[in-house]
Amino acid sequence: MSPLWPSHLDDIVEEFRDCFDSMERYELLFEYAKKNPNPLHETEWNEGNQILGCQSRAHVVCSKDDEGLFILRAGADAQIVQGLMSITAIAVNGLSPEEVCKLTPVYVEEMGLKSALSPNRANGFLNMFNRVIAEAKILSET
Amino acid sequence: MLDIEAIRADFPILDRVLPNGKNLVYFDNAATSQKPKCVINAMSKFYENYNSNAHRANHTLADEASSALEDARMKISNFFGANPENMIYTSGATEAINLVSYGWAKYNLEKGDVIVITEMEHHADIVPWQELSKEKGVEVRYVPINNETFTLDMEAFEIALEGAALVCVTHTSNVLGIRNPIEKIIKMSKKVGSKVLIDCAQGAPHEKIDFLNLGADFLAISAHKMAGPTGIGCLLTSTERIEEMGPFMTGGSMIKKVTTDGSTYKEGNAMFETGTPRIAEAIGWGAAVNWLEQFNMEDIHSHIHQIAAFAGNEMQKIPGIKIFGDPSNKDSSGAVSFLHETIQSQDLALLLDEGGYAVRTGHHCAQPLMDALGVPSTNRASFWIYNTQEEVEGFIEHLKYICERFS
Repeated sequence: MSPLWPSHLDDIVEEFRDCFDSMERYELLFEYAKKNPNPLHETEWNEGNQILGCQSRAHVVCSKDDEGLFILRAGADAQIVQGLMSITAIAVNGLSPEEVCKLTPVYVEEMGLKSALSPNRANGFLNMFNRVIAEAKILSET
Repeated sequence: MLDIEAIRADFPILDRVLPNGKNLVYFDNAATSQKPKCVINAMSKFYENYNSNAHRANHTLADEASSALEDARMKISNFFGANPENMIYTSGATEAINLVSYGWAKYNLEKGDVIVITEMEHHADIVPWQELSKEKGVEVRYVPINNETFTLDMEAFEIALEGAALVCVTHTSNVLGIRNPIEKIIKMSKKVGSKVLIDCAQGAPHEKIDFLNLGADFLAISAHKMAGPTGIGCLLTSTERIEEMGPFMTGGSMIKKVTTDGSTYKEGNAMFETGTPRIAEAIGWGAAVNWLEQFNMEDIHSHIHQIAAFAGNEMQKIPGIKIFGDPSNKDSSGAVSFLHETIQSQDLALLLDEGGYAVRTGHHCAQPLMDALGVPSTNRASFWIYNTQEEVEGFIEHLKYICERFS
């Protein structure tokens, strides 16, 4: 794993960097919202997996596979959050929980989506990201 | 006629360029208005020249601060057609409504008494009554809205009025922009012997509110939506109601005498202004009222209505956009709530922000209204005195572009 983000995210980060403007970047993010490798379907959304402090509806479930590697499943009604979570799932799935704990959301900034990281924004991606890291910490201890 | 360019020159923030290089277009006025230079300067001048606590000391600065606080009360109460002794400074309309709940209703209502509110109230005019209901056993009745016209169901209101002790209604909906027939509501309520509270937070920036003419028992007002600073507002109420009220918040300033055996309280509005007053904020609000007085409020409303009606009309032409409210109604405020059928409201707000357009998104502290409308949230563009037709035209173009590209 690179010091900033897993190397398998490099192409995605580059793809976003190459966008002409922010609207093209968001359009690309909307496309990634449809490409979540492990979606959490609306039927599985409940209070236990809901992200608090997020005005849109957002849910995450974190677990380990048979080999003890991390699996992130996420769902949100806002496409921007959903797109960011799809990319985060691509980043973390297959890593060890210990590796996930070291991840920071700097890749989102590098993708030119810094505004999505403001804790004051109501879109809630940062709350979701922090929840993933907190769950990774728990999974690394079990 | 308003000289909008001259008005805009009074608001330095309107020249703001956002971090993405876009010029700010501020359409979140129902949340808070921007502040003219004279308000900013009046508050700075206080802190630079005569900052001191009010009503507490015998030195020059304290005298100047006390005079400024009371001069502002005089200006503001006059602006709203009330006497200064009938104005109680609060932190805003929310505290003003809580003051009615905890300072009047708690002392004057009994178990089983009826409070009539509506589905279109802001949470500030719902939660205090729910809390009072838990504490005192009063009954809270909700008047529904008509989902086609977005107006209050006045037949249901008439039925709900039976046996009412207090009616609490918003002057203008912060979500729908609909102005309620408050004159009729006050008249009907008085006819059954009910007291009336009008939440004027959204109404005061749009029309001349005249306390004595309206005849309501309580008016709740916020400064920050009408060019004033945040953190200050007032409750306007009659001397008769003040005499029925008991202490809400207690502490310094509001007492006559404190001993280890107990305390006695000042009479009149002084009983309800405890602690260090919001001196700079009061001065700023006074300056805002001075600034507003150079215009005719009817001209302000007419300008806003023209913009809102144009915006609503153009937005309705965009495929997928649904408007909640009636911006074309001449009484509606400048708030235009809308949703796109497939683009989620938070996404839409962020994409609008990318174009420099600041709009509000969410439930707008009106969840019962959201339930009645059958939606979790809306986007809301809300216009005020400094907004222009050109800004709205740019907004419509950007909204069209988003809808075409992201739906």
